[in-house]
Amino acid sequence: MKRWLALAVLIAVAAVLPLLLSPTGYWIRVLTFTLLFAAMAQAWNLIGGLANQTSLGHAAFFGIGAYTSTILLLKFGISPWLGMFAAGALGGLAALVIAIPTLRLQGHYFALATLAFGEVMRVIANVWAPLTGGPGGLSVPFTPPSFAGYSFKQLLPHAYIALGALIIVTGIFEVIRRGAMGYRLRAIRENQAAAEVIGIDTTKVKLQTAVISGVLMAMLGTLYAQVAVFFDPDTVFSAAAISIRVALIAILGGVGTAAGPILGALFIIPVEELMNDLFSAGAAGLSQLIFGAILIAVILWKPRGFITLWDALRARFARGETR
Amino acid sequence: MSKMLPRAGLSRRSLLAGTASLLASPMIGNAARAEAKPVNIGVIMPLSGANAQFGINSRNGIELVADEINAAGGIKALGGAKINLIVADSTSTPTTAGTVAQRLISQNEVTGILGAFASSLTIAISEVTERRDIPLLTMSFADQITGRGFKNIFQVVAKASALGKAQLDYTLAIAQAAGTKIDKIAIMYEDTAYGTAQANGLRAAAKAANVEVAMDDAYPLGITDTTPLINKLRASGAQAVFPVSYLNDSLLIIRTMRQQRITMPAIGGAAGYVIPDFEKGLGEFAEGVLSIAPANYDLAPDLTERFRKRFGYFMVHEALEHAVALDVLVQAIEKAKSAKAEDVAAALRGAKFTGGWTRAMTGGAVQFDSTGLNVLSVPVMVQWRNKELVTVWPKDVAKATAEWKS
Repeated sequence: MKRWLALAVLIAVAAVLPLLLSPTGYWIRVLTFTLLFAAMAQAWNLIGGLANQTSLGHAAFFGIGAYTSTILLLKFGISPWLGMFAAGALGGLAALVIAIPTLRLQGHYFALATLAFGEVMRVIANVWAPLTGGPGGLSVPFTPPSFAGYSFKQLLPHAYIALGALIIVTGIFEVIRRGAMGYRLRAIRENQAAAEVIGIDTTKVKLQTAVISGVLMAMLGTLYAQVAVFFDPDTVFSAAAISIRVALIAILGGVGTAAGPILGALFIIPVEELMNDLFSAGAAGLSQLIFGAILIAVILWKPRGFITLWDALRARFARGETR
Repeated sequence: MSKMLPRAGLSRRSLLAGTASLLASPMIGNAARAEAKPVNIGVIMPLSGANAQFGINSRNGIELVADEINAAGGIKALGGAKINLIVADSTSTPTTAGTVAQRLISQNEVTGILGAFASSLTIAISEVTERRDIPLLTMSFADQITGRGFKNIFQVVAKASALGKAQLDYTLAIAQAAGTKIDKIAIMYEDTAYGTAQANGLRAAAKAANVEVAMDDAYPLGITDTTPLINKLRASGAQAVFPVSYLNDSLLIIRTMRQQRITMPAIGGAAGYVIPDFEKGLGEFAEGVLSIAPANYDLAPDLTERFRKRFGYFMVHEALEHAVALDVLVQAIEKAKSAKAEDVAAALRGAKFTGGWTRAMTGGAVQFDSTGLNVLSVPVMVQWRNKELVTVWPKDVAKATAEWKS
């Protein structure tokens, strides 16, 4: 009961926050990207957290999503709302294709295989110029503002769409985690051989999770394209800016938990922005250096993620109550 | 008690005086600032990552002009207002560049933005500035920049397709002047936005001039071994090679060529071929290498030597063009007599700017058409001669005759 109340309060706060920021300003853009990255990290958390398969290639699905909806919009005038579902379908298909050979791999080998897949997609987008615009990238056309056309003059609607996406993806994550699938995934994570012995079709369960994760990631790619308005292969298929960053967000926040990616994104995206704001006018690359140093410090301080902070806080609170 | 009163009175008086001065101080400050409230101008450049050197060169050019204008009494139409540059790192990610632009607009209330060298970054910034009606001045080449019907973007140099065309056409003319007819060439370019756009221009020009393209190869940015490319080049039978690339690849390509004793003329596509590091990295191998460039410092040495004096190297074209961009922006502010972005953008649209740094451009001035393109800018061909870049074509601006060894 109390948990639900806390959740309701949290969502209410999140719903009011965008209204307090200037609708054409800078912080609402940062907030929108923070919410989007939280949702992306949550989608990653399905396969990376629940199934413990550290994917470093989620940019592949993300980029497929961004390109699918944008190409449909540019060539056929299809609204990105519909394009988003085409994006999800293709993202799921790609996840299936990549998952079949790679899910048999474990640990580092899986990570490396997915990393390579993201790179392959980047090269394809670079070369297939007639469809993707090649290295020059694609611009989402500036159509007259309308909800049906997914085009807004201000960032406020984008912030709410990103918030909605985060809530939906987190909901899906929680449903899976608490359901039968969550138990199977946990069994696989603890000991794959034992899970098979007790009758879990480990390949099938992992495959299902990978596809759901890929579908969600691709749909988020569409949302990202609509906010960023311009992207090129290096942006959406980037290993560092997308694949590794979403993994980092989930890991820093607390992998395998619903709150982890949200905490991680709330820390990483604004701090990165703040570093750029404060230091980038000085020595070249200083802001990234400081940002990197902060990340190292945080990981040394809380190797299991920010979620442990929350747990410690709650434990102290509970002790205080019982006393 | 009576002894204490004067003390209390004194303290009350000083308190009153203090309060009065406190109340008045913001007004004094306001009055002083109203005379010359500095004009914020955003500078967004890749100051980290692969293009950092180009970003730093650009920033140096802008700082030079800003300091000169401030030292000469600031912006006259605004009561001597000083230029206040807000420099920010775009990194190499377009989305970050867009976010940085959003920050400069809403937090620093910039009058205009200059940036961001790489076309993809400039395009991402322009998506933000267009929606907020902030003028963006750039020296990025990509054709899309002024090809989208935007009202608030101003491109001070010729487009990539025009550069690619000039790279070929000028070469044919130079060869002809030396008594050689070229009918077979090779193109190699990195698969970035800049490389592919310029290669398209080269290819189209070759077709128009009936020149056979014997080799047409894209390679990934950051290539580590160019030997296969050079072997292919040797086998192609081309009379001249047109490499389009940033710095590291340009060094590898020319070094591998010269080490294999391939002496065919190489005509670079600006970027890596026209910066001091090219000569530093190649030494004597750099001598005689040609390159297309959107502008060159030897066309206005009285202006560009000031850059060399301050920074210790010649004024590379990105520094020069960004200097011109700032000069044009300031001229527009003078003309508009306002630091409001919309007023300045209106003063820029379709206008012609002369004098100052615009003299350093080919055409001797800057004139924007309705798309925001500077129609007066014509690319030049430069050649490495004794550690300097010398303009060798077109004939009317050339400082020396091109050396052509076929």
